Amino acid sequence: MATVEVRDLRKRYHNFLALDGVSLKAESGQLVTLLGPSGCGKSTTLRCLAGFLEPNGGEITVEGVSILSTPANRRGFGVVFQNYALFPHMTVAENIGYGLKLQKVSKSELTTRVNEVMDLVRLGGLGDRLPREVSGGQQQRVALARALVLKPKLLLLDEPLANLDARLRDEVRWLIRDLQQQSGITAFYVTHDQSEAMAMSDMVAVMKAGRVAQFATPREIYQKPTERYVADFTGEANFLPCTDVTPHGEGHYSIAAAGTTLDLDGVPGIAAGAPAELLLRPEALELTAPEAGTFRGIVTKSAFLGSALHCEITLPDDSVLKLSAEPNTPVTKGDTVGIAIDRSHAWLMPEVAP
Amino acid sequence: MRLPNPRLLLAIPAIALIFVFMILPITNMAEMSFRTTGTKDPFGEDYTLAHYLRIFGDTYYWGVLLRSLLTAATVTVLCLLVSYPIAWHMSKAKGMKAVFLYACIASPLMTGVLVRNFGWMIVAALNGPLNETLMALGIIERPLRLLFTQGLVILALVHVFVPFMVLPINNALRNISPTLIEASTAMGATRRDVFRDIILPLSFPGIYPGVILVYVLAVAAFVTPALLGGQMVSYMPTLIIGELTGTFQWPFGSALAIVLSLSTVVVVAIFTALTAKLMERSKA
Repeated sequence: MATVEVRDLRKRYHNFLALDGVSLKAESGQLVTLLGPSGCGKSTTLRCLAGFLEPNGGEITVEGVSILSTPANRRGFGVVFQNYALFPHMTVAENIGYGLKLQKVSKSELTTRVNEVMDLVRLGGLGDRLPREVSGGQQQRVALARALVLKPKLLLLDEPLANLDARLRDEVRWLIRDLQQQSGITAFYVTHDQSEAMAMSDMVAVMKAGRVAQFATPREIYQKPTERYVADFTGEANFLPCTDVTPHGEGHYSIAAAGTTLDLDGVPGIAAGAPAELLLRPEALELTAPEAGTFRGIVTKSAFLGSALHCEITLPDDSVLKLSAEPNTPVTKGDTVGIAIDRSHAWLMPEVAP
Repeated sequence: MRLPNPRLLLAIPAIALIFVFMILPITNMAEMSFRTTGTKDPFGEDYTLAHYLRIFGDTYYWGVLLRSLLTAATVTVLCLLVSYPIAWHMSKAKGMKAVFLYACIASPLMTGVLVRNFGWMIVAALNGPLNETLMALGIIERPLRLLFTQGLVILALVHVFVPFMVLPINNALRNISPTLIEASTAMGATRRDVFRDIILPLSFPGIYPGVILVYVLAVAAFVTPALLGGQMVSYMPTLIIGELTGTFQWPFGSALAIVLSLSTVVVVAIFTALTAKLMERSKA
């Protein structure tokens, strides 16, 4: 139950700048996801929060108070690791109770609290097993219970689902989200899986080379990304180069793309004539008769996926659009088709030098 | 005809080696220990329990046995205390530093046993470098009599057995995932807590073989006690060699050797039993 703020965090390893000014804020009770590819600095940020790493610059505050000089063992944060980091020589119950034992709580209280949290994560009856004697999903729940039992001010989760198979991942994901919301604990969650980030988070920070590329709600990140990198990382996306960008008030533009002019919304502040890209998510596109659509093109690939028909359509200017059509749409390779755009799902972004 | 399991064939060299160099001589020695003392041959024709009765009936032999076992235990404990920090640093080292440390650790084993012990005699002599340094520093006024003391025997044994303790512990420490240390720290553990609750128990799979190796080697050590221990105190190995090569009492010497072996096995078995649960839990 704490507001956590990270300001201009910097961390350098020898010649490698791991964090280049990271700023984030988690309101009390929010789950903030750090999303990005490996090496983008998301784990480094988390390790600075946990106190395992000392940043070279910047500030981390909890409820407005700096914690940088507080050692990791006195921060009172719960940490869940990708490899679980369960103590192999302690039973499940001993693992969960270890932090309480260090706090010297009475034996009866320890037992009560450990049993409570074990019920919460549905580990009842497994207390006497060693970690290696329970399944991967159960190990992950032990790791979660071990962090929660201490009633931490902040929960830090470092790719907690990465080692689980798909079915378990879904189950544990909802468990984590439910527990986090029930207890109202502020949480930071590191992942490289965009669907995980979308589904669980209040706020998402998409990270790129030691910086935060965009920090916003999942909806905004997906629908209104500030740059191509963010759009690419958060889901299937088509990009069309645009010309003749003309602003019409804050965040409204008219553009020319693939031979058509369009009015649409975009990132505020793109100058007239500046290079820009049009983002079209597959769900913004619909197949129509050749003369009815905004664009006209030739089907160069179509694949039946069961629930949808995946098509790739080449436009006259050789740009390619990917979209999902209704599975029974009668199109085959070589057909000329029209594409209609749902303009509320189109988005204009400035072209950023990579 | 069916061919035997090829895996058993692979085991034949090992079995042959153990049979020829371990089972046969021990059986031979065990049998000899029940023989009467011979006058012309190494042992007489008849069987007897006299040698064992003599050993168990004489407090002198009890005392020597006890001294041997206690000295070995002292050497083992000191070795563990000295080796653990070295193993810790070694487990953190990488690249050339690790190679250098391995070479330093193995250095006592690179010197011949006689040269090493004569070296200790020179170092510990009344006018040797150790005494001279201590006097130069003003710590002592007159040279200490270090040579031919039990303390020097223990010191020299610890010196040579450190590698046997460091290497397995280093191995075990390297196997401890650093995230375990971070996890316990995040749960509020101080460095002392982390060492006591996580690192020490998880390094036990290295401590155990180290302790057994050093203990068994220390019990059986002969050259170091013989050269550095002098004539005043006896250890089982020196006593046994004395019976075998000095007075040619082969049956009695064999009985002493069997008693020493069995006592060592018993100590190892007790240690194993006491630590079985910890070992079971901490092994990877």
